[in-house]
Amino acid sequence: MSQVKNMVRRVILSIGSFIAVFPLIWMLLSGLNDYLMTFVPGNGKGISFTLENIGYVLFQSPVPLYIKNSMLISVVTSLYQIITGAMLAYALTFLKFRCKKLLYYIIFFTYMLPSAATYIPSYIVLSKLNLLNTYKGLILSQSVSLFGIFLLRQNFLEIPKDFVDAAKIDGATDWKILWKVVFPLARSGFITFFLLSFISLYNNYMWPALITTDSRLYQVSQGVRSFFIDDGAYGTKWPLIMAADSIVILPLVLMYICASHVIIHGISGDSGVKG
Amino acid sequence: MMNKTIPIKISLYILPACIPMLLFWFIPIFVTFGISFTNWDYMTELSRIRFLGVKNYISIFKDIRFYQCLLNTLAFTIGTVLPMMLIGFTLAQLIYSHKKEHPIFRILLFSPWVTPTVAISIVWIFLFDTDQGFLNQILSYLNVSKVPWLTSSKVALISVMLVTVWKSAGYAMVIFLGALHRIPKSLFEAASMDGAGTLEKIWFITLPEIRNTILFLIFTGTVSSIRAYDQIQILTQGGPSGSTRTLIYYFYQLGFEEFDTGKASATAIIILIITVSISAVQFMILSKKESSR
Repeated sequence: MSQVKNMVRRVILSIGSFIAVFPLIWMLLSGLNDYLMTFVPGNGKGISFTLENIGYVLFQSPVPLYIKNSMLISVVTSLYQIITGAMLAYALTFLKFRCKKLLYYIIFFTYMLPSAATYIPSYIVLSKLNLLNTYKGLILSQSVSLFGIFLLRQNFLEIPKDFVDAAKIDGATDWKILWKVVFPLARSGFITFFLLSFISLYNNYMWPALITTDSRLYQVSQGVRSFFIDDGAYGTKWPLIMAADSIVILPLVLMYICASHVIIHGISGDSGVKG
Repeated sequence: MMNKTIPIKISLYILPACIPMLLFWFIPIFVTFGISFTNWDYMTELSRIRFLGVKNYISIFKDIRFYQCLLNTLAFTIGTVLPMMLIGFTLAQLIYSHKKEHPIFRILLFSPWVTPTVAISIVWIFLFDTDQGFLNQILSYLNVSKVPWLTSSKVALISVMLVTVWKSAGYAMVIFLGALHRIPKSLFEAASMDGAGTLEKIWFITLPEIRNTILFLIFTGTVSSIRAYDQIQILTQGGPSGSTRTLIYYFYQLGFEEFDTGKASATAIIILIITVSISAVQFMILSKKESSR
């Protein structure tokens, strides 16, 4: 009986898993085909693999540039977010100062608000600073992750105060304590922060699309959309579009394969809810 | 002397995060609020900006599109959060009750969450394609008539929901799994000895134990469905005939296509009020639960 149950479970989970990854598989298969793949047997020309589309995307299209932009901006921005976030979380957890509660509530309040409510004034700020269409503007306007501040603070709170106090008695500066004592102890929090930040920055679309009109600065989301419209002729050259999509998604898939455990654990464990 | 040096040191730790936060988050919200009462567009000179009172809000409330957007947002939110929760819980429960759970299921089921919404939405346009798309190929193979997934105003919103649920169900599963693993095993063992079946255990033990997680997912799911923009922009651009235009998309069109900044800001404030109300309800329910313990 329990064997039958286990079989049923496994079948349902397998179907679910298949649905979850099917769009990715179909994308890759179509990208590797030189004409449109058809599902119905005998209806189409079947499968014939070619690297032509992938080659075109890699060597003749701007897609690699988009990936480079995204990588650069995502890595630099998430490092910024980690440094600014760690310093603020450190101050909130280990330093004493007036208005600490107030600051915490301001951050919390800001975190809950829909970011769309900030777009128009933020856009004006960037244009006044002459930072529209620049890497600087993209990085600066996203250099704080409020989610990350909470994540790190949560991790810092679990560090025994004695560790920090002992280091202080030994004469270590706060800067040293943060990076030599707190950082190693909260390492998993930092890694989770970096991975989640990187993913969301790499995937980000609405805000970067609003503040960049220069196609040389496009990141993958904006870039792959313009490729879809221009080179892909709004969906008449599907194999080509799917090849571009595959290449754009590849870095994240690789990262996910290497770090799925950390990512999943980070989400289920540090979501801020207990039971 | 100490008193003077400490605040400087503290501010060194706080300012790197706080300056961008104030500049791009906190202050803009109040500016948006201010703009929502004016006739400002990107071009008007400062001296020519006029205070309009609640005129922008009134013109929104008179705009029939607004009510369509409100309804769409409501339908979209319910139609994404509910299936996400049900599918997520079912999958989590299946993995949890599996004695030797294979990690591959968890990894595969969660993977859609990692993919970029824009790139994957383009894949979905391909799958949804009326003539060449995979879904309609299957349907025609089964002798069912083709579905105009993204081109009919009756179906488009459902298609957008489908993509959204596909992307978020794995996330809900992972959150549920975390909560399931925190339930003390002894509760289930005691129930088994009393002869409780699987469904009884879920109803009487699991669901009450993970109540906070359920609430958390309902609220965060609702807020993120209200914020959803990427998939709508790629799949349908709010069409056909406004059938997938949600409040956030309405905001985008007013602010960045029609350049009606005042009205767009008013819409942003309405979205903000809705979001804050939902968060406040969540906060009240969760803190009530804490204090009743």
